[in-house]
Amino acid sequence: MMRIYRVAQREYLENVKTKGFWIGILLFPVMIWLMVEVPKFLEEKGIPTRHVAIVSRDAEAGELARQRLTLLNRQKVLQALQQHIAEATESQRKEMLEEQEIDAAALLDRLEEGLEQMSQGSAEINPFNPKQLVNIGDLIPDEYLLNDGQWLAMRNLLLNQLPKGSPEFIEPDPRFIEVGLLPGLTDMATDAEIETALRPYLRAEKLYPASGRNVDLFALVLIPENVLSEKEPIRFWSSNLADTDLLDAITDSLTDRVRQMEYDSRGISSSEVKEIAQIRVRSNNFNPNKQEGEEKVGIRDKIRQYAPVGFVYLLWIAIFTVAQMLLNNTIEEKSNRIIEVLLSSVTTNELLLGKVLGVAAVGVTMQLAWIGSMLGILRLKAGPGAEWVVDLLAAVVSPELLIGFIFYFVTGYLFYAFLFAGIGSICNTIKEAQNFMSPMMLILMVPLGTMVFIPNDPNGTIATVMSWVPPWTPFIMMNRMAASPPMGEIVGTGIMLLISVIFVFWMSAKIFRIGVLRTGQPPKLLELLGWLKSSRP
Amino acid sequence: MTTAIELNQVVKTYGDFRAVDDVSFSVEEGTICGFLGPNGAGKTTSIRMILDILRPTSGSISVLGHPVASQVRDRIGYLPEEKGLYKKMTATAVIAYFATLKGVPSSLAREKARELLDRYGLSAFKDHKCEALSKGMGQKVQVLASIAHDPDLVILDEPFSGLDPVNQEVMEEVIQDLKSHGKTVLFSTHVMSHAERICESIVVIAAGKMAFHGSVEEARNLLPSRVRVRGDDISDLVLRLPGVQSVKPSTDGRADVLELHISDDTDPQLLLKQFFDSGKSLDTFEVVQPDLHEVFVHLVGEDAREAADR
Repeated sequence: MMRIYRVAQREYLENVKTKGFWIGILLFPVMIWLMVEVPKFLEEKGIPTRHVAIVSRDAEAGELARQRLTLLNRQKVLQALQQHIAEATESQRKEMLEEQEIDAAALLDRLEEGLEQMSQGSAEINPFNPKQLVNIGDLIPDEYLLNDGQWLAMRNLLLNQLPKGSPEFIEPDPRFIEVGLLPGLTDMATDAEIETALRPYLRAEKLYPASGRNVDLFALVLIPENVLSEKEPIRFWSSNLADTDLLDAITDSLTDRVRQMEYDSRGISSSEVKEIAQIRVRSNNFNPNKQEGEEKVGIRDKIRQYAPVGFVYLLWIAIFTVAQMLLNNTIEEKSNRIIEVLLSSVTTNELLLGKVLGVAAVGVTMQLAWIGSMLGILRLKAGPGAEWVVDLLAAVVSPELLIGFIFYFVTGYLFYAFLFAGIGSICNTIKEAQNFMSPMMLILMVPLGTMVFIPNDPNGTIATVMSWVPPWTPFIMMNRMAASPPMGEIVGTGIMLLISVIFVFWMSAKIFRIGVLRTGQPPKLLELLGWLKSSRP
Repeated sequence: MTTAIELNQVVKTYGDFRAVDDVSFSVEEGTICGFLGPNGAGKTTSIRMILDILRPTSGSISVLGHPVASQVRDRIGYLPEEKGLYKKMTATAVIAYFATLKGVPSSLAREKARELLDRYGLSAFKDHKCEALSKGMGQKVQVLASIAHDPDLVILDEPFSGLDPVNQEVMEEVIQDLKSHGKTVLFSTHVMSHAERICESIVVIAAGKMAFHGSVEEARNLLPSRVRVRGDDISDLVLRLPGVQSVKPSTDGRADVLELHISDDTDPQLLLKQFFDSGKSLDTFEVVQPDLHEVFVHLVGEDAREAADR
């Protein structure tokens, strides 16, 4: 026992000292952090302000298009403002997960009430509760946003929600800025003339002069005279085919107008159509597995349903990195010929067990560091006093998931660790090991591939069958854990897995015993089978 | 005196190949034994069997009074033929680690490691990583690692290979230090001069078979003495002298010197007298004891060549 401990201790200390270990530990939180930050960053900086030239031959259509752009700009400001308030009133947000149901009508009522109070000189009611996760810009009728007076009032109302001492709100750049035509060019010019004149700017060969600055011209929109009456197509010029926001905004606004005209001509009330379009059939989800009276499925339950996927992924990464480490170490000891000295001091079984346990400790350390940093980042991102993170985790990490994770980590790890150590013992270089690694990798890829679709049918035929294949049992069973698979299956596959682990240990110990002292070419498969039958070298 | 190692008709086969074939010898406690043999003679296999890393196909081995070395592995130190250390560990840490595997408590092991490094001139490298050490340096570290737990029996496989002459002397010193502390040392080598200087007994194996086992003196006596002579016009005479078996030019590189192989019972003094009687003048007459090198070539020469041709 002492020797196993010594070997394990060295293995652990030496691995923890390597750069790879620390890169592994640090990479994970960095990745999580990037996953949180990059989309946010892209949202903020990713879409630059678009400069657009609009020529409309129809006054009404031009007005509609421009209104829509203003609307989008103001919605963006509103969203930024909402975000700003939410950040400034962090502590109130912890309840937000419990109030997922958004009542748009109530919100509007409160908004109107707030605006009324505004006009009367008092605004104590908070129509924009920062607890709400929805984008309020979407809930407010366009008329409110397009009315300059009401827009300003609304903006001030929101700014008043900021607690004293909050950082100043910096209005984001507008999404769209309309630029005038080039000097010397008027609306009177023909489409062809305008298009020819603007072509180099649209091709980004030149910068477009706009109110004293030179900017990239994003698009030219030519709205024909009879767009509303005859539905003649808009001419949209842009070298950017991917960003369709501008075109969509303009076509949507004109489509709305055309439809309204159509309703009117057929004697249908457009406001009624809108109202009718708002009607939705909603659903309440229930889970029969839950306690009576608590069957209602909430967001926690959804998270919980998918939590095992996270665990499977963690399990996979852990097993893979750790087993890889073991393979490399064994090859190092073998190619450095340290193994012979070791074997004069310890038996092969002691060496094998010591190494596997030492490296397992490395893996556990790594996982704890990962989980710790994940919690840390979530807490940090959620701000101080965000106990909801802990609540969320408590919901996700139920005892059965955790026990399952520990059991499958231990067995899965041992299964692959013994295999990899056995492979390491018959190879002199990493390169030789690659040949043996390829089939192992294929086996390991399978549970990763099925990881996402198994939660859709956790107790289906594929999941059940795969659970009984020992190399996959830890991953697949972990994946199914939240769906409460039949007890018989849990126990049965568990016993099967344990037997396999013992078998793999026995097999690897035999191969290890002969393999570590062997030099030259790795043995052929038949030769390996011979080793399994032999008693001792 | 008791025996530290005893091999009794040990055989190790790999398929049809008999790597070690009926080897028997013993090493007395507190002595230094040289284990000699050409490449591929089965030295390393024998050593691995002594250490219980390999099991013999047949025959028995006893080490420090026990039938299996693993029962007394804490009392054995081993330096394998192919040397290796953990590249990323410091010299002190490696020595201490191997000592702890032999049951030495950690703190004591580190202390012992530093002490050994100091004693054998490696103080400056105590905290160097092993990958930064030269080959000879690394080898010294490994030798120290094999003796840090103060073993009663030390088995060194080719301890001199890869060392410069100065460090070869240090190595001899290490081995003699061990002996002076009452330890038993078995080491294998190709270089006969080391064996000649420090061994009490030698074992020679060739192609897996025993070729010789005994003291260095006994080994020398395997070959007849030789006489080297130089004189004017003596080449005809030497052939006619009684007791002279063959005449060759001397192998020591001096010109005109003849080397006479004489039969065991011939007294060199008698030869000298016959030269005087013949009236020939001699300017050189020396009696040469065969050295171990010659004995070795005599014992295993053919096998070694065959092995090289294989």
